[in-house]
Amino acid sequence: MHLTGLDFFFWAVTFLENLGLLFVLWYRRLGKSFPFFTALAMLCVMRTIVLYFVLRYGTRQSYFYTYWSLAIFDTLLQLGIVYEIASRVFRPVGVWARDVRGSFIWMVGLSVTVALGLSWLASPAARTWAESFVTKGTLFAAALISELFVLMMALSISARLPWGTHVAKIAQGLGAYSLVSVLIEAGHSYFGVGREVRAFVFLSHIRITAYVACVAYWAVMLWRKEQPSLEMTQEMRQKLFTIQRRVEYDLEDLRSRKKL
Amino acid sequence: MHNLYFLSAIGIFIAALLSIAGYYYVRGRQSPQMTWEELIKELTWVDRNAIEQVALDLVDESGAAKGAGDAANLEPAQLWKLIGGLKGLEVLETNSEVLIDLAFYLQQWYPEALVIAERLRLDARELKWHVARLKAAVQTGNLQTSFPFYAQRAVVTYYLMTRRLLDLYQAVDFSMLAKLQEAL
Repeated sequence: MHLTGLDFFFWAVTFLENLGLLFVLWYRRLGKSFPFFTALAMLCVMRTIVLYFVLRYGTRQSYFYTYWSLAIFDTLLQLGIVYEIASRVFRPVGVWARDVRGSFIWMVGLSVTVALGLSWLASPAARTWAESFVTKGTLFAAALISELFVLMMALSISARLPWGTHVAKIAQGLGAYSLVSVLIEAGHSYFGVGREVRAFVFLSHIRITAYVACVAYWAVMLWRKEQPSLEMTQEMRQKLFTIQRRVEYDLEDLRSRKKL
Repeated sequence: MHNLYFLSAIGIFIAALLSIAGYYYVRGRQSPQMTWEELIKELTWVDRNAIEQVALDLVDESGAAKGAGDAANLEPAQLWKLIGGLKGLEVLETNSEVLIDLAFYLQQWYPEALVIAERLRLDARELKWHVARLKAAVQTGNLQTSFPFYAQRAVVTYYLMTRRLLDLYQAVDFSMLAKLQEAL
């Protein structure tokens, strides 16, 4: 399979950017706070290395299966990031906020239905069923993730649930990238897939450019510190503990909802 | 033709998502840059003595419901006058959102205050629910019968929110407490 100089340039840039992002996550100690996100960055680095060697020493078919196997992991990790963010926003005290639980389930159901509908409508000009399945599957994943992020944002603002700075930046980046991916996949479906199709190559480069911009955005935003918290004195902690004891019933009530 | 449907669906999908995102982004862009003083100014004045009188008719100072012997004594007409009718409740509803912002303002600096902030957020949802019931009662012509029940509970919720917020500020940031007491 022939890759152009531009393709190798994109590979190099994404590889170095993801290494940079991993460094930021390590240096700012964000790996524990965002395990799925960190895993995605690690997968991207590993994928570049693996695909390079498969490209050099493997066959076209082995490259195809390796690429799409890793793409499935990538999508699963992105869904993991959606869960990670939802967890941070909608579980402020360790249990899902009871007033949004129903709306959240409804939102997920609607997102899956709409994404399924869009991918069903797509009829990619593909040569094999595998290409068709992959195109539809990628469209489904991109549509689902972009919907989930937008609806999460809407629900959290309606319910007045706050977003931390880093959580918001990860969500914005992934949400924007997913929206671009929906357009790209729509284009793939319309124009056809395969490197012999010029539109396919052009759209792929657009996607990679969007991805490069997204990773750069994350690296810069996550490098910045969130608003520093202040240390409570022992006296403050004692007083706060007293107030919390007074609302202890409410806290138990919040936690017991987990069992419902 | 099939491709036309597909491309139309994609166009509608993208437009809908961008519209929803834009609307909620504008709606949500507020508190982080607001100073504490700006938040205080957002509070609308309410007669705290009237609020206290209505609330303590139903619950004691800790928020526990009064026993059967101490049953609510205020008449519906008195409740209406003290609360200020549906408009008065709408003011409480608006103020409750500011109370949440004040709690979250403090929580940005002291993350341990999260439990109180979350409790206030849920209290505000409960208050809104009571007000929504009354607005529905207006549509069905049942406001007069529904008002005493839902309005008094809404006021109790608001009263307890103010108590919790004042306790929180007293515990954590005494310097802001005086201004907050004055505003509430």
